[in-house]
Amino acid sequence: MTEDAGSESVVDLLINGVQVRAEPHMTIVEAAWAGGVPRVTGVGCLEGVCGSCRILLRRGPAVSVALACETFAEHGIEVLFLPAPAAARHQYELTDFKDGWDIQARFQEIFPEAARCRHCHGCVQSCPKGIAVEEGIALAAAGRFREAGEAFFECVMCELCDSACPEQIAPAHVGLFSRRITAFFHLRPPNLIHRLEELRQEPFSASDKKETP
Amino acid sequence: MKRGLSLQDALAAYRPDAELAPPPKQIDPDALLNAYHPDHLRDGMATLAVGPNAGAQCPRELADLLQAEAYIDEVDLAGAEVTDTDVLVIGGGGAGCAAALAAAEHGAHVLLATKLRLGDSNTVMAEGGLQAAIEPDDSVQQHLQDTLRAGHHAGDPALVAALVGDGPEVIRWLIRQGMQFDQTASGDLHTRRAGGISAPRIVHCRDYTGLEMMRVLREAVIQHRGIEVWSQAPAVELLSNESGRKCVGAVLGSLDGQKLRIVRARSVILATGGIGRLHLHGFPTSNHLGATGDGLVLAYRIGARLCELDSFQYHPTGLVNPPYLSGKLVTEGIRAAGALLLNAEGRRFIDELQPRDVVSAAIIRECREGRGIHPDTGGVGVWLDTARLERSQPGLIEQQFPKLLARSRIAGIDPRRNPVLVYPTLHYQNGGAVIDANGATTVAGLYAAGEVAGGIHGRNRIMGNALLEIISFGRRAGFAAALAGHDRGPKKITLEHVNQARRALTLAGMPLTRHAPQMLPAYTAPGKEIWKA
Repeated sequence: MTEDAGSESVVDLLINGVQVRAEPHMTIVEAAWAGGVPRVTGVGCLEGVCGSCRILLRRGPAVSVALACETFAEHGIEVLFLPAPAAARHQYELTDFKDGWDIQARFQEIFPEAARCRHCHGCVQSCPKGIAVEEGIALAAAGRFREAGEAFFECVMCELCDSACPEQIAPAHVGLFSRRITAFFHLRPPNLIHRLEELRQEPFSASDKKETP
Repeated sequence: MKRGLSLQDALAAYRPDAELAPPPKQIDPDALLNAYHPDHLRDGMATLAVGPNAGAQCPRELADLLQAEAYIDEVDLAGAEVTDTDVLVIGGGGAGCAAALAAAEHGAHVLLATKLRLGDSNTVMAEGGLQAAIEPDDSVQQHLQDTLRAGHHAGDPALVAALVGDGPEVIRWLIRQGMQFDQTASGDLHTRRAGGISAPRIVHCRDYTGLEMMRVLREAVIQHRGIEVWSQAPAVELLSNESGRKCVGAVLGSLDGQKLRIVRARSVILATGGIGRLHLHGFPTSNHLGATGDGLVLAYRIGARLCELDSFQYHPTGLVNPPYLSGKLVTEGIRAAGALLLNAEGRRFIDELQPRDVVSAAIIRECREGRGIHPDTGGVGVWLDTARLERSQPGLIEQQFPKLLARSRIAGIDPRRNPVLVYPTLHYQNGGAVIDANGATTVAGLYAAGEVAGGIHGRNRIMGNALLEIISFGRRAGFAAALAGHDRGPKKITLEHVNQARRALTLAGMPLTRHAPQMLPAYTAPGKEIWKA
């Protein structure tokens, strides 16, 4: 390449401590590959839905977090690929829930931190999907699980919000809990139930599998 | 390929309100497929010289891996740490998680090993939905017929019967794991039509069905007390008994070091997904980074028979630009909702809800005959007319296709204002390891579930049967593996099958220079060129 660094068609950046020259239309993942950055293994879908390619990003004095497959190479930035999130601290199985009236009490036992949000906005600022994380947590803490789950609809479980939370609320897992408990207790579609009942009375027979013309 | 219009010219000529004639009524699907479908590209094919499918044809990229050497020898196993488990699941996508959960439900101790992070898979990227015959004007029988017919009757009817019969129960099981689906105002599950199916049958969660499924299954696996998860632990090789004929475990590596670990298991379930990242015939892919066909390679080396190795799905609507999204999917759901395909002349050229292989072949024909649209950034494609859909059903894209919009926003395009440029993208491996209705391969102790398994989709899969299959057959394999009998006596673990495979390669005069499974695409290695279409 003959262009000067900083011109339109080439940018210089630092990825995991390695100086990389890239083109500005490249994502950070592509730039890391092109620049020969070793051991970049936290990469999955390359379209922003698996939440694996978590990065810490420094532009001058400003530090932020993002997903590398949805962030483009810029001149002068510094990027660090983050390790995968720590193991979940909260333990529950949906089949342990016997009664829908107990959900809120059980939720407070499983996620006691959720009620302690201090509205620091760390989670909101760290979310690469623009989710209203704080509002979602408040809804869950108030027992409004359907609405809380809806707030987290586009969550890809990158858990960057978890790293940002000083109260260790694990917001992504609270959101997922809210969605799961809503389906577990409230999703009872009549068309599905009717077909299941028909199949219970007369199971689908594999012997009757001749194609009709 | 004849040159069509530039992207700028095509956009300038595009009118979302133009009158459109219906597409040609008379088509000969077989002639279209023969002439244009990539499965019929003779140049890129090779004949397998060794192994259970010797004599069969498959794409050269795959043949090279199936006939490669193992990485390790018995001497490499000395001193490796040994772990015992009832069931070893290799692969952390939807099929692997379903298998692990089913095996654990039956009391087995399960170790799930995944190459990347748990959930990094094609499942998480799936958009459109899964099939279950639940509507009053639909039946399990119709689902069976649609699946066999679209697969050109190459599927195994017994496997297909098992799949479609499981459909409604699979949805109930997913809801019990905590998965949400879109509903109608009356609370029914919302269903969509799709290419090649005779009734509305696709249940979905907007266009994030796979994400919703995967995050729920991942959480269920992580939270389950009977399942241990090892991530960044790719399978380097399977282990066999002294005869080399029975699978008794696997050797796992690590992405961050050279340490090998031995896992001894009563049953091993391969759930390693597909081969998109081999970029067959130079095609871009919709697949995630780990889709390098590892399971096929491991299964073949230990002697498992494979099927339909020459049949792959090229999804009609992969993105063409911007380049970093090349090959990424636009869900078929949007065609089911009414979006049309237009060539550079602004004409419809195929019924958009024909089976995927036929639609893809038609798109390739248009582009090859000079009716394609060429962006400056490379590649060629046709219009997926999202802007017309938005005009006829304002707000639909925002409500039902948020993933398409979210991705477009980052890429700086708006599918509500302009059509989207699309071209077929390597999407799915139609065949795979031969299995029975319990997911058992032809090798004792070895099961396969999900995309790595074959025999269900014949030579073309219809929308929504992949997400159904990973749960249906993932659970079947998990149950069967958990219930498989104990072996009596000392369990000898060897690499005898590797020795046998090496002898076969040597006798056939094949080189022993290449090693597989590949694990990651070459272009992720330091210093390598990034792969470009």
